[in-house]
Formats: sequence, C-alpha cells, structure tokens
Amino acid sequence: MDKSASPITSDDIRSLVRPDHVHRRAYADAAVFQLEQERIFSRLWIYVAHESQLRKPGDFVRTRLAAYEILVTRHTDGNIYVLQNRCPHRGARICMVDHGNAKVFSCPYHAWSFRPDGSLDSVPHRKSYPEAFSLDDPQNHMQRVGRVAVYRGFVFATLNENPAPLVLHLGPMVKVIDNLVDRAPDGEIEIADSSFTLEYQGNWKLHLENAADIFHPSFVHNSSVAPARRAPANASLLDQDQTREMLLANGFGTAEWEGIQLNGFSGGHAYMNNIYSKGVLASQDADPVVARYRAALTARLGPERTAQVLAMNRFNNIIYPNLVLNAQYQQMRVTVPLSVDRTLVHIHCFRLKGAPDEMFHRAVRFLSTLGSPMSMIFSDDVEMLERCQQGLTRDVGPWIDFSRGIGTDRRSQDGSISGAASEMPMRIQFEAWVSYLTAEAV
Amino acid sequence: MLDWQTQRRIELFLFEEARLLDAGQFQEWLKLYEPQGIYWIPSQPGQTDPLNVASIVYEDHAILAIRVQRLLEARALVLTPMPHTTHLIGNVEAEEAGDGGFTVSAAFVCVEHQGDRQRIYSGRHSYKLARHGDSFRIKMKRVALLNSDGVHTAMAVPL
Repeated sequence: MDKSASPITSDDIRSLVRPDHVHRRAYADAAVFQLEQERIFSRLWIYVAHESQLRKPGDFVRTRLAAYEILVTRHTDGNIYVLQNRCPHRGARICMVDHGNAKVFSCPYHAWSFRPDGSLDSVPHRKSYPEAFSLDDPQNHMQRVGRVAVYRGFVFATLNENPAPLVLHLGPMVKVIDNLVDRAPDGEIEIADSSFTLEYQGNWKLHLENAADIFHPSFVHNSSVAPARRAPANASLLDQDQTREMLLANGFGTAEWEGIQLNGFSGGHAYMNNIYSKGVLASQDADPVVARYRAALTARLGPERTAQVLAMNRFNNIIYPNLVLNAQYQQMRVTVPLSVDRTLVHIHCFRLKGAPDEMFHRAVRFLSTLGSPMSMIFSDDVEMLERCQQGLTRDVGPWIDFSRGIGTDRRSQDGSISGAASEMPMRIQFEAWVSYLTAEAV
Repeated sequence: MLDWQTQRRIELFLFEEARLLDAGQFQEWLKLYEPQGIYWIPSQPGQTDPLNVASIVYEDHAILAIRVQRLLEARALVLTPMPHTTHLIGNVEAEEAGDGGFTVSAAFVCVEHQGDRQRIYSGRHSYKLARHGDSFRIKMKRVALLNSDGVHTAMAVPL
C-alpha cells in the first residue's frame, strides 16, 4: 500500500482527475489524504453535533474535526464551544465518553479542571505552581479549535479562520435541513439517543459516492431484493411490512429507475428525487398513523404548507464533504475519515417533536434496517467499498471510470441534472474536490 | 432449581441451535423458533425497548425467513466467501417461567473465519423457551453483545 507522505502539489491534484476518470491515488495515497484533512476537513464547515444534544449548560458531544478529537460543549453563557480533548498541562486526553453532561472537565492525571468553555477553573495545590502561573492564561485552557455555526439545530464547526458563511457553503442544501425541521409538528427535531457506528477499511469518498450511486442497488442488493420478492406481504407482526418494503425498494424496474432524477451542485453537494416511496415509507399513503401526523402538522402549518412540506421527495441529500441527510425518513449519516483507508460512518435518526410516537418507531426501524451492522442492505454496500479500496492499492491500470451518462447531463441554474444511470454526482464531487484541494490560501 | 434432566435437555437444545448455525443449516435453525418467535440483538447495554431504541436486529419469524433466504440462496456479497463459525455456549442457567416454559441465560463466544480474517463475538444469550413435545421452541432470543454499542464491522451470520 502507498503510504508515502511526500509533499503534493496542486498540479499533482489536477493530474489525478480527468473529466471522466480519476486516478487511484485519490483514494490510496496518504499524502493526498493529508491534504484532504488540511484543505477539506479543516477548511469547510463540518457537521459535529445536533443542538438537541446540547440543551443544558455542560452538555457535550465528543467527536472528530479533521485530525483533532474534539468536545462540542454548551457553556453557561449559552454559547457552543469546540475544544480539543486534551489537557494543556501534560497532554492527556480528558473525556473518554461520547456524550453527557459535565459541570467541569477534570483531567484525571493532576486534576486540572476546566469549564465547558475551556477556561481553567482550578488546579490543586496552587501554591506549588510559579507565581506567574495564571488560571486566566489561555495557554492553560483547553484549546478552542475552530469556529461554530448553527443552522436550524445542526451544529457545524471549522478550523478555517476566515470561513464562508455556513449558509453559503450549504447553498441549495439548506432546503433539506429546512424540510426535515419543518416536518416536525412542534417545529423541532431531536436526535435519537441510539445510533450505530460502522467502520470500513476504505477511503471516505467511497461512502459518499455510494450514497449518490443509484445504479448499484439492482446488483449489490439483489440478495435481499430477491427473497423479499418471494416473501408474503404483511407477514411480520412487528413493522407493518416496513422491512420487506425497504428491501424491495432496491429492486428498481426500468421505469422507476428512469423516473429518478439526480441533482448535483458546485461545492460537491447532490441529491436524488423519486425513490423509496412505498408502503409505510410513503407519506402520501393513507394509513392511520400518517393521518394523525398530517393532522398535527396541518394544525401548525395549514393545509397548503403541509402539502408542500410533505411533497418533498428526496432520498440521500449529500452535503459535501461528509453529511448524508434523508428528511422524509428522518435519517442522517456522518462520515468520519480516520486514515486514507479507514473510515467511520455514524448513522442516526431523528424524532419529529409533536408527531405520533409510531412515526419515531418507523424512523428507528428504518435506522436498524439500513444502518445496523447486520443490515441486509448496508452490509453489502460496505463489502463493495472495501473491495474497491483493496483494488485501488496497486498502481497497475490506475485510472477508474466515471464516464457513465457524461453526454446526457444537463446544466441547471446552480448545478447539473441527470438521470439515475449517470455518474454525474461523482463528477460533481471530484470537480469540487479539485477546487478545494488546489485552493492554496483561504 | 430444575431437575438435572430438564436442565440437560435445555442445554442440548442450545447446543443443537449452535450446531445448526455452524453447519450453515439456517432453515433448520429458523424451525427452532415459534411462528411468532423473535430474535433480538440490542444496540445498547441493558436495552429493554425495541421500538424507541435502535436494535442491531429485532425481527420476528417472517422477517427472519427473508434473512435466512438471503443467507442460503441469494448469496449476499458480505457472505462471499461464506464465513465459517464456531458458536460456543456455556454457563447455562435455566429456570421455569410462569407460562409453563423456561427462561434461560447462557454465555456465548462465536469465532467467525472468513477469507483472510477472523473475528470474535461474545456476550450473553437470554431465551424464553416454550415446551414443544420432548423439545423446545424459541419464543424470544436476546443476544447481549459485549460491544453492542461499540464500533462495528458488517456482520452476517446470526449469533
């Protein structure tokens, strides 16, 4: 495997991407990964937490931002802070849990204690430190890394000192966040306590490409589509046939396939329309739970606006570089790159506040069916991501093909539109990738 | 405490289940479940709620039947090459349940070998068993993985 970390230039990056092909080094060169950490995961806005995890002062979430392990905290001043999870005294990691509430973060080594904004609250045996030692000296604080911006409850952070406004980065993708929040009858969503974290031995971009790839399900997911087709309808007593319908949904007929539209945007974002909309998954179906939900939503928004909100039928909404949102099933996936060939995927769902409990049960069911390590769907995706990485570690025949649909994409006002059989979203992603990686200065 | 013969019959039933899984006889394995039997792998330690909390698996017979078909016929990608497993069951403690059946708790270790890698799963099974002639049927099997809320790789063969 190529792990050499020789310096890499903008010309090198440009030479890795052709209009219809990408060089395997984009996925397997540690130097490229290093540059991605600096110019993509440090400079762009990265999703780090949801505000429903940070309601009270002291609430915190532990996650990663580029090369840092960070704590996203809510301080008593009401602000959100991003702190490096490291004691400034001797360098030890402080917090060892993924989320919770703490009045102070106390380092277990010599008991320096920090407030949720990172400031130093106390050190034991103060008199043994030099006279010049000050609790107020920022050098003695947990280091604040990066800036924070929130869009309707979604907390993003960046190490960029001079970032573009968050809404500018999100661009047309704000609509999917709006839609997810607008679906809640109380106007508020809450991230579910339970989630999954999967690790795969492959580059982070593979997951992003797969989320935008509507060509693969008929092949990759055949082993779950075929038995679901043979299984009787409504046989399960647990889930109103939701699991079987989800498995079935990957078996597109040609007509359904051609009805799917892909939308790609400069900046690397993409989404798809008209997919996965049968059975209890479909908000337009008249089942009693949806009827109660629709009534609750109508009470707040009125009939016209309710119809508008529920009509948005987009599947994976991919917010570059690492967030995949699905508003109609209240799902979210967050990709965390660990190294050039190792990636974590955090898989979450949301509760629509004010909606019937059964709506949340369905979102939880969706999460398990698609995102569990024993998912009959995603486990096969992960297998393919790993096989791609294995194939990309050797330099013989180094160019991989993204040409499908290249003559048929249409330009729209702010991006490109194509049919489901196009690899347009990957071409959009790599266009953005080159532009981010070759931007020398911020 | 159960009489030793009943205890032994329950142990042998669990060993039979483990053997069917090791032999890849998933359809035979499914027959050990009651028509409304449930197979549950929680995602959280101590999880009691399968509706509001995500599960690694929470499936009844009808959905398990699809899962078994996938394992058997339609050769899933994640199952090529087919993993080989040893399901080891121990520390079996059984007692009578109020409904004439039994509740059983057992420790397990499963070693899975696939291609060039080997993985180990471990934890505790709890069963609700119903009597079925000389043998038993599973009303509920709950698999408490040691690392239920940890970082996972894709898994395929039932535990």
